[in-house]
Amino acid sequence: MDAQQKVPVTILTGFLGSGKTTLLNRILSEEHGKRIAVIENEYGEVGIDQALVINADEEIFEMSNGCICCTVRGDLIRVLGNLMKRRDKFDYVLVETTGLADPGPVAQTFFMDDEIREEFQLDGIVTLVDAAHIEQQLGRSDESTEQIAFADVLVLNKTDLSDSEGLDKLETRLRGMNRMARVVRSEKADIPVDTVLNLSAFDLDQVLERRPTFLEPEYPFEWTGVYDLQPGRYELSLDEGPDLEMSLVVTKDQGTDDASLRAGAELCVRSYAQPALPVEPGSSVALGKHVSLQLQATGRKSFGLEVSAPMQVGLYAQHTAEEFALQVLPASGGEAIAPCAERIWVAQHEHDDEVGSFAIERSGDVDPNRLNTWLSSLLRESGVDIFRMKGFLSIAGQPNRYVFQGVHMLFDGQEDRAWGDEPRLNQLVFIGRNLDEEAIKNGFDACLV
Amino acid sequence: MSSLSPDDPKGCLRAGWYSTVGDYAIACGWACGGDLLVVGDAAGGVSAFEGNSGALRWSSAEIHKGGLLAMAVSPDGNLVATTGQDGRVLLWAAEDGERRREIDLGKGWVEHVAWSSDGTKLATSISRKVYVFDQEGLPLWNSEDHPSTVSALAWVKSDEVATACYGRASFFSASSGELLQKLEWKGSLVSMVLSPDGNVVVCGSQDNSVHFWRRSTGLDSQMSGYRGKPSALAFDSKGTLLATGGGESVTVWSFLGDGPEGTSPGVLNLHVLPITKLAFAPRGRRLASGARDGGVIIWELEKDGAGTATGAAILEELVSGLSWRPDGRALAGLDASGQVSVWRVGSR
Repeated sequence: MDAQQKVPVTILTGFLGSGKTTLLNRILSEEHGKRIAVIENEYGEVGIDQALVINADEEIFEMSNGCICCTVRGDLIRVLGNLMKRRDKFDYVLVETTGLADPGPVAQTFFMDDEIREEFQLDGIVTLVDAAHIEQQLGRSDESTEQIAFADVLVLNKTDLSDSEGLDKLETRLRGMNRMARVVRSEKADIPVDTVLNLSAFDLDQVLERRPTFLEPEYPFEWTGVYDLQPGRYELSLDEGPDLEMSLVVTKDQGTDDASLRAGAELCVRSYAQPALPVEPGSSVALGKHVSLQLQATGRKSFGLEVSAPMQVGLYAQHTAEEFALQVLPASGGEAIAPCAERIWVAQHEHDDEVGSFAIERSGDVDPNRLNTWLSSLLRESGVDIFRMKGFLSIAGQPNRYVFQGVHMLFDGQEDRAWGDEPRLNQLVFIGRNLDEEAIKNGFDACLV
Repeated sequence: MSSLSPDDPKGCLRAGWYSTVGDYAIACGWACGGDLLVVGDAAGGVSAFEGNSGALRWSSAEIHKGGLLAMAVSPDGNLVATTGQDGRVLLWAAEDGERRREIDLGKGWVEHVAWSSDGTKLATSISRKVYVFDQEGLPLWNSEDHPSTVSALAWVKSDEVATACYGRASFFSASSGELLQKLEWKGSLVSMVLSPDGNVVVCGSQDNSVHFWRRSTGLDSQMSGYRGKPSALAFDSKGTLLATGGGESVTVWSFLGDGPEGTSPGVLNLHVLPITKLAFAPRGRRLASGARDGGVIIWELEKDGAGTATGAAILEELVSGLSWRPDGRALAGLDASGQVSVWRVGSR
């Protein structure tokens, strides 16, 4: 049996009151022509004729080896084992967990049990978040943190009860914990069914399609504007904004195509690593230097910029131009100069939560033996702290891509489409608690041919 | 096994008949002295075929709403018990399919059913409880809740009911329901078989191991290293050979002498996908094995567990049931596509 024939399974998690039942009822009552089996643990509210709803007592079975990664949901194994026998089956299985559940054992069930693994494919984990209460819950319980970390989709529900600034902050925090997940907002769990079914979360391509920036490196700046300037003096004018100072590097001879912008970004990362030189309003900004514009004064403030020859300059700024209504004006007076190119970057998040995520992207092939050795020792030593990982690999000598996903120390992979003319590369995403990003990246690099 | 076809068995297996039922065939048993083969299917149907010809004698569809989960024929071959997702136990006259009794145990799945060896009592399990009835289907006793859902059920002769669940095997008095013995071990026990004298209780565990206890001494042992979950287990009629699945190999342990501790098992390799069913012939050391690959193989075993394949046949899909006719001269095989095959079995 190949992956296509396996019945996809979505796991629905979220604290009590986050809207799981509302979402389930919505999925079941919508006309989607699919036969869905729902396995739920909290008795009662769901009951729609077209779907098969089974109540199962959550039975968490630990193994005698004491390894938490081997813990499974015994009730699911039994119920699914029986369900898969019917010929007039169902196209989809939804497993609802209790609010306080650790999603680990549910997800692990689809890796650990050989019979379940033959017939079912974990398609995705959807976590509902009560936008108004999650901040308190995250402080109080490991389970809510793990529900965030395990998710392929985070549904920020009950957004009508929070303000938009609070939601943005919350979304940033959640993304810091799990950059793999797609975040959707809803008021009463009113999200399209295809947001939670057929996620193919296994497939990193799909994730990339939805969020093209998710594997991109994070930069210490959010915005770049390129200005085509003649020799002379100019003014950088900024209004009041969200911060009392702003870091900036101005590059010389900045190109406007994507490759040039990225090259400039890499250069600026190094400049940003240097301490910033404070620049007061009225003073000049030196080209190629990391400066910190001092913006404490009220009203608009101006900084000088001098160009000795015709050139394009790139402003790599900590905040977007919009946030401070940034303008570049000729010092002699006249109209503001429009940028000839602009670019928004993925800004670095503040990772103050223990749980975080990161990605590795490397071109070239990996040596299968070295990879195996490295991966088994990594999973053995850090498996408890690695909640999820997934990605694809270019294995030396193999014509096809190799796709994989894992939960804790369990790992499942298979061959995927042929590489063909595509450039061969490797992409891996890790989500976990206190992961040593540097060490994992170095470990992977040592596996490259 | 690519040269095998369903109507062309090899070796000691000879062509008999084959038929089909409406859905995934779940369980079968010989009734009326081997004159009838009764088959239960996942859609909740039960069908009785003439043992020699395969002609359908009677059938009843959708007897359990949601599906049938288990079936057992009484030792005298006159009664059939079926259980299902509807929380009910049904008793049928094997001869003509007349419904004799309908027992409603409430909301839940009745997953296991077994007759005592003298046929006077019937044990079933629903969720965490065991219920025992007389052969008329009248209730005798039921247990308290087990710590988790009962995963296997068996009789020690007609004296005790044995159950397995997460972390424990339990023994109840057949007459009073009193809990007589608890054998505990931290693991998810997914299957169970008892030696014919009831002294050895063997459980397959979710962590790909087999755990067993000798009840007389209370001592236990564990065999690990299986490639999969050992859900198929079988003892021969003398209680000396234990066949276990769990992966593509059949592993046979011998209880002769001081074994199986410290001995090497017989390892029987021919199946290409994991073992699903094992059944010893009523007498002797002849074993039938079935696997996910649809293959059915007959093995002649030595006293130490080593064995040679002497017959083979193939079904369309995963082998979901194997049952020897009481005289040991025919074998019934079921598969996940609903195929029912009966082969005659020669001496070699």
